Amino acid sequence: MTDKSNVYGSAGDTTHRKTWDRAEFAAKAEERTAREKAEAKARYEAKAAGKKYHRQQTPPSQKSGTRERKLNLEENLNKTTIVPAGAGIGKRGKGAGFYCDVCDLTYKDSLQWVDHLNSKQHLFAVGESGEVEVATLEDVKERFTMLVDRRDREMKEGDWDLKRRLEERKKLDEEERRIKREKRKEKKRKEREEKEKAEKMVGVVTEGDGKGDGEEEDEEMKMMRMMGFGGGFGSTKKKN
Amino acid sequence: MSHLVDAKSMLDTRGLYEGPTVHGVNPLLLIEKIIRERIFESLYWKEHCFGLNAATLLDRAVQLTYIGGQFANQRPTPFLCLAFKLLQLQPPKEIVLFYLSQTEFKYLRALGAFYARLTFHHVEVYKTLEPYLSDYRKLKVRGQAGWRIECMDEFIDDLLTKDRVCDIALPRIPSRAQLEDLEELEPREDVLGSEGEDTETEGEGDD
Repeated sequence: MTDKSNVYGSAGDTTHRKTWDRAEFAAKAEERTAREKAEAKARYEAKAAGKKYHRQQTPPSQKSGTRERKLNLEENLNKTTIVPAGAGIGKRGKGAGFYCDVCDLTYKDSLQWVDHLNSKQHLFAVGESGEVEVATLEDVKERFTMLVDRRDREMKEGDWDLKRRLEERKKLDEEERRIKREKRKEKKRKEREEKEKAEKMVGVVTEGDGKGDGEEEDEEMKMMRMMGFGGGFGSTKKKN
Repeated sequence: MSHLVDAKSMLDTRGLYEGPTVHGVNPLLLIEKIIRERIFESLYWKEHCFGLNAATLLDRAVQLTYIGGQFANQRPTPFLCLAFKLLQLQPPKEIVLFYLSQTEFKYLRALGAFYARLTFHHVEVYKTLEPYLSDYRKLKVRGQAGWRIECMDEFIDDLLTKDRVCDIALPRIPSRAQLEDLEELEPREDVLGSEGEDTETEGEGDD
């Protein structure tokens, strides 16, 4: 006990402990007390007015926006899915149809499904406020130039020169084939190395045998070779 | 500043309407009830018009390939859905003018023109739309009877002279002649006016 050093080093060294930002937590505490005070006041006022107090749920602050891409309503068309027994009743849980994993509800038809995606309940669940930012003229102009650029680019990319496109395709195919070939070569090389290594190992073991490394191991090796897996993953052909 | 993702709450009939008004009424009421209902039921509205604002609406507007009111089994066209969305969003005038003035996407211009006709004051309707009478690009129109081709100037002319366009009853505006008589509008200048004069002067020079 009198010894100054312990497992952590010196006795007085407490750097391993978590350090707390006092200012931050003081601010947090202050905020909490303020919030509680405000709530208590609201509760008191409600009581004085003879009403029941309900805590206001804070609505999500993230603004809603438009969907970036089209809804893929035909995603599960003509597909077979396994659904849990009793899934056909009501909307709760996962069943056959359009499933919303945020709200854990299943809808049977696309109109209901889109309605659900637009509903307040769903927006709230995904953390959107259901309000949209108002666009200014600058926003509109910016969007407009973006759209014009995109259209021009698509016009340019979707070029109609068949010969050129065929050539490009050819190049792409060539490149793909080259990569495949190299992969195959690499695989073969690795296999060969592996085999060589295994053979070496066998050699070492047999050398060891000569020195009388162990009767048991020798027996085992013999047995293994007899059964056809004498060392490594090489050929099973007998080597002696 | 924000607006709601869909238009349902703007049509809430409990109590007084307090939102923005056009011609003294709720802008959504400029579209008849039956078409409103059909728009709300349509998949295009639910899927593509959700959560748009005046900027992201451009994404949809540039993908438009035809205009029109209702087609097939009285389904509203995307064009009509977007016009309805604009009525809900109530974009400031400069944005509408931008939609109109751009030259890249003709269906966006048609949409802007339709919206302007629905919401602008009658003198402004003439002043803003008449310049586009010299736009002769073709527009595809889809109606109950099928497809047909119309030019932008025809469409604008319809907006200025007819009381039903794209199956929507447009707000009544006095005719151009009436407004000229009231001296609210200057007589329309012919686009060819200056050119005609030029040829005249040239002719004089020749003499």
